[in-house]
Amino acid sequence: MTTGVPLTPTALASAAMPEAPPPALPDRDVERFVELSVALTGFDAFDLHGTGMARFYLRTVLDQIGDQPYHDFETALEQAGLDPEKLQGEVAQDLARAIAHLWYLGVWPPLSATVHAELRRQVANTGFTASPEAYVQGLVWSAFHGHPQGAKAPGFGTWAAPPPGAPELPPPGRHRRQAGDGR
Amino acid sequence: MTRAREVDGHRYDVIVVGAGMAGTLVAKRLGDQGWRVLVLEAGTKTLNTWPGHLDAMNTFYSSLIKVPNAPYRANTAAPSPSVLDTLPAKDGHGYRSVGYLVQDGPLPYGTDYLRADGGTGMHWLGLTPRMLPQDFKVRTEFGYGRDWPIGYDDLQHYYCEAEREIGVAGDTAEQAEAIGLPFPEGYVFPMHEIPSSYLDRVLARELDGKSVLDRYTQQQVELQVVNTPHGRNSTPNQAYDGGRGFRPESAAGLPNYGERCVGNSSCTPICPVQAKYNPLKTQERWNRKVTLVDRAVVSRVLVADNGRITGVEYQAYDDPGTPVATTHTVEADIVVVAAHAIETARLLLASEVANSSDQVGRNLMDHPVMLTWGLMPGQIGPFRGPGSTSGFEKFRMGDSRKKHAPWRLVIANWGWTWAAGSPGSDVADLLGIPDSPFKPRGKAVYGNQLRERLGDRIGRQVAFQFELEQDAQPGNRVTIDPRYRDALGNCRPILNYDLSDHVKKGMRAALDVSHQIFQLLGADERTAYPSDAPSYFQYDGAGYTFQGAGHGCGTHVMGDHRHNSVVDQWQRSWDHANLYLVGCGSMPSIGTSNPSLTMAALALRSVEKIHHDLMDLHRPLVLRPTPVPGYAQPREA
Amino acid sequence: MTTRDLLTGLTGFTDIEAPLAELEQPPFEIPRTVPKLRHFLQAALALEFLTIPPYLTAMYTIRPEANREAWYALRAVVMEEMLHMTLVANMLNAVGGKPVVADPEFVTDYPAKLPYARERVPIALRNFGREAVKTGLWIERPERMEDLPGTGEEPDPRGWTSIGQFYATIREGLVRLAERHPDLFSGDLAHQIGPEDFYNSGGMAFPVTDLASALKAIEVIAEQGEGVPGSIYNPDERLFGQAREVAHYFRFMEIYEERRYGPLDTPASGPTGPAMPVDWAAAYRIDPEAKVSDYPKGSQVRAAAEQFNLVYARLLLLLDRSFNGEPKQLQAAVPVMLELRDLAWQLYANPHPDPAKAARGVHASATFEITRAELTAAAAELDAGVGAAALLAALS
Repeated sequence: MTTGVPLTPTALASAAMPEAPPPALPDRDVERFVELSVALTGFDAFDLHGTGMARFYLRTVLDQIGDQPYHDFETALEQAGLDPEKLQGEVAQDLARAIAHLWYLGVWPPLSATVHAELRRQVANTGFTASPEAYVQGLVWSAFHGHPQGAKAPGFGTWAAPPPGAPELPPPGRHRRQAGDGR
Repeated sequence: MTRAREVDGHRYDVIVVGAGMAGTLVAKRLGDQGWRVLVLEAGTKTLNTWPGHLDAMNTFYSSLIKVPNAPYRANTAAPSPSVLDTLPAKDGHGYRSVGYLVQDGPLPYGTDYLRADGGTGMHWLGLTPRMLPQDFKVRTEFGYGRDWPIGYDDLQHYYCEAEREIGVAGDTAEQAEAIGLPFPEGYVFPMHEIPSSYLDRVLARELDGKSVLDRYTQQQVELQVVNTPHGRNSTPNQAYDGGRGFRPESAAGLPNYGERCVGNSSCTPICPVQAKYNPLKTQERWNRKVTLVDRAVVSRVLVADNGRITGVEYQAYDDPGTPVATTHTVEADIVVVAAHAIETARLLLASEVANSSDQVGRNLMDHPVMLTWGLMPGQIGPFRGPGSTSGFEKFRMGDSRKKHAPWRLVIANWGWTWAAGSPGSDVADLLGIPDSPFKPRGKAVYGNQLRERLGDRIGRQVAFQFELEQDAQPGNRVTIDPRYRDALGNCRPILNYDLSDHVKKGMRAALDVSHQIFQLLGADERTAYPSDAPSYFQYDGAGYTFQGAGHGCGTHVMGDHRHNSVVDQWQRSWDHANLYLVGCGSMPSIGTSNPSLTMAALALRSVEKIHHDLMDLHRPLVLRPTPVPGYAQPREA
Repeated sequence: MTTRDLLTGLTGFTDIEAPLAELEQPPFEIPRTVPKLRHFLQAALALEFLTIPPYLTAMYTIRPEANREAWYALRAVVMEEMLHMTLVANMLNAVGGKPVVADPEFVTDYPAKLPYARERVPIALRNFGREAVKTGLWIERPERMEDLPGTGEEPDPRGWTSIGQFYATIREGLVRLAERHPDLFSGDLAHQIGPEDFYNSGGMAFPVTDLASALKAIEVIAEQGEGVPGSIYNPDERLFGQAREVAHYFRFMEIYEERRYGPLDTPASGPTGPAMPVDWAAAYRIDPEAKVSDYPKGSQVRAAAEQFNLVYARLLLLLDRSFNGEPKQLQAAVPVMLELRDLAWQLYANPHPDPAKAARGVHASATFEITRAELTAAAAELDAGVGAAALLAALS
């Protein structure tokens, strides 16, 4: 029976007491982060907001590299006409890689060792999944019309349907067994 | 809830060591028959609550490398091996092993298992192909490995029973026609088959009816995509059980939750909706005769002077993070060890029981998996559905087995995830992020180009798993050495593992077949076996790497004589009449079938014998006066 | 004037003053002919369906990882409502009726007025929060058994007062009609939805073929919602051999009170079990009266909200087909529900396009609006093979 099955605290909360929430980031900062991220990822603002992760990712980036290097990166990308491939300098290029990686996989990657040193980061240069939900909201899955493994399940039998643009196909062997199948 | 220390000194009809798939089924059936059963589980039982399940889901989401044990938290008192424990050697040749298993053999044993309630049955893929009749006599028929003392016909009934307990979805007509499996008249699986993936359909369109050449036999082998039976909820077959139909089991831990497979595509390591069978579902149907005690590491099987087993010694701990335990004993008429092939062997060796044949720990087998991969010409929709829904079955059978090991050619539905770490590796590659912060970065692509190139590349990924039969070799073995112990002082398993030439030759033949298939598909083959990979070896002019399948078998091998085997056909120890060793460790050969279903069938078969043994023990002796000669015995008129 | 339910003490809502959509209700009388009974069952179908969008909205506006208890409670309730709808369709088919789902008349607009009630209670698409939970409490409230309608020739002038009364009236009509019409349950068996098409989510579907199975269906519907009379539990243990659960009303009460029922609790005691903290802030705030037309034309949110309604229309069409001789279409309907889930999640995570509303923390939302236009477009899409409905329905 259901009674007495406590479902809280949510998983992973047990690993560490939650920290006091950091001060909320202003909406305009989040909007600007999303604009830059559109250029980095190729997904539009609706898709990026639709992950529910924009604010959290900006917070993650700031925690990882600090406010000033992030603002420098913002400025650099704007000066490059929002074309990340035109970014100059190893730091800006590596941050572009890292932010795109974060959006696509929910994973903050290790920076290049030289960039890590140049930024004088106060955190270890290791990769980590930003949060369980970040994995689920990775963009890579929708890049090929899929869904994250272990989440957003599309329903029984959907794997038999063609991906967009491909023709529908009969099940293997069904033609051999049509007779006497009884269904 | 019973705690481990509380059963100290108690006596049961049966003790089952290990709450994995085999132990859980044995306990279920014996409990249903009214026997008092104690199940001792070394790991924790957090997973049988819904918050425990959700914790495992989040641990899985957060893990960077989503290996089979990724969702399950570490336990220092009852450690589990991980596939990440096998690393490249520092000099770039061979491997080194870290973690729980001690390995010193020629090749790495790259397989894991899970010590927790439900056992490795928590992260199995959920495929349930039966073994072929010819798989039971490979020595006689093909000249390698070991024969079974029983055959397919002896298991037929128990296969059907196991398919009921697990809840198998599949198409018996196709299994009979394409593979030649005999079924009882009118038998159907409890559920209709899991639909074949779109990739299966593309491969069938391109390959069905075509042939590839076996380089060693020079015979053509016909290609045919065949749907695989699954232990996974599908559409109940109303024709099952003489028209009574089948009621699928729902999830463990949350009432009335659970449904058909919804295609989460994470069967291994964890099914979020528990549409895949796991032993916890059976545990929910245990009756009150069965007591589960977790955090109880069995350290010794206890034997009396007369050779009978009296019970077990176990270590009770409280905190999986603090390996501190107290030692207790508990007694029973019959002890069933169902602790996984490697753990059971380790326990027997540590207890110095059941080993008059010197076969305990030997004949360790797995299905070495050789992966090949490439890009299809068009989009095939990977990373959808169960890990595999079909395979090519003709390579499993026939006279080619005299020349080389057979294999099951498994069609992988999840792109290059196992072969190359996709899709994470694809993203890193296009962004120019190498695997080390000290390596130079590559040029990155961004924006629409990044999105489109990822979509194009991942959407065309195809991979094949060649799962080869490994033959029983006495030198592939588990041993113990008091110098290597875990935190509770128990001896860790030491593995010596290698592949025979029979298997290596099978890989050579399989690689050839793979090349031909990619050619027939017009696909761009990308298979690459780096020479610094832990499992790299060379054979017949080519290099290979292989993975473990998680199918540890053979370590308490079944046979027809006490001199050369550990258990008889009932999985009963030749040395101790009230000790049963239940699990894949009993299997003398493993064919090319994922072994869980066969293990379950064997377990259910053993239950019948155990029940009879217990009846014999408990049937009261009726005392009659000894007939005295010379007196007329009463006769019936 | 404040609305108040006398039995439960529930209070009404004060934030919605716009006119409320009203579900068409049959006259307050016991159905005395088979066509009238069919009319009642069609109304019951619409009633069950009315509850689903508000519950889905509450569920999908919960932020990820937060409020798991509430999430699973809502999920269980939604699944049971879908079961109820299926059982009503089975009843309607059993008595030779023809369930209508894909029709703008079937689908109410929101906010709607709580049907079969005297009070004016708005049922709106609200984000997860106390108001949304209270909406659920109103819908599922246990009722003092009011008198059934009189048996006179004309409809009883007193009018409906509760949903329980409505189902009790259908029950009475079924029993009386079954006595007089031995062939009452002569509908086509091929239209019945059975356990092979719907199982393991708060009971399972079963065919309705006679009075006994019809009465069992009524019992499931009434008691999964309100509980077995005098108890907080639903009848699953007795009816399906499944674990018994706290009935809908009491599940919502647990969330509302942030406390579980203990094993000895009764409806009167309220929940006195373990605390169940609810993070009321961990939800996307939305406008409970949002319409697609609120969103600027050409905006991404507008396009997404329109797409949502189109997919919603596709779901209605598939349900309609499932209930009208193609039970396997239910197989194709499930992926569409999951597609709706993903679309809704995206909308809720997006700020409202109106900067003033966005500044107040209001997000975009799915509006569940259905007109003839959406249904026509969705039918055309289905015919063109969108969503692989034919394929999915053909699967074993």
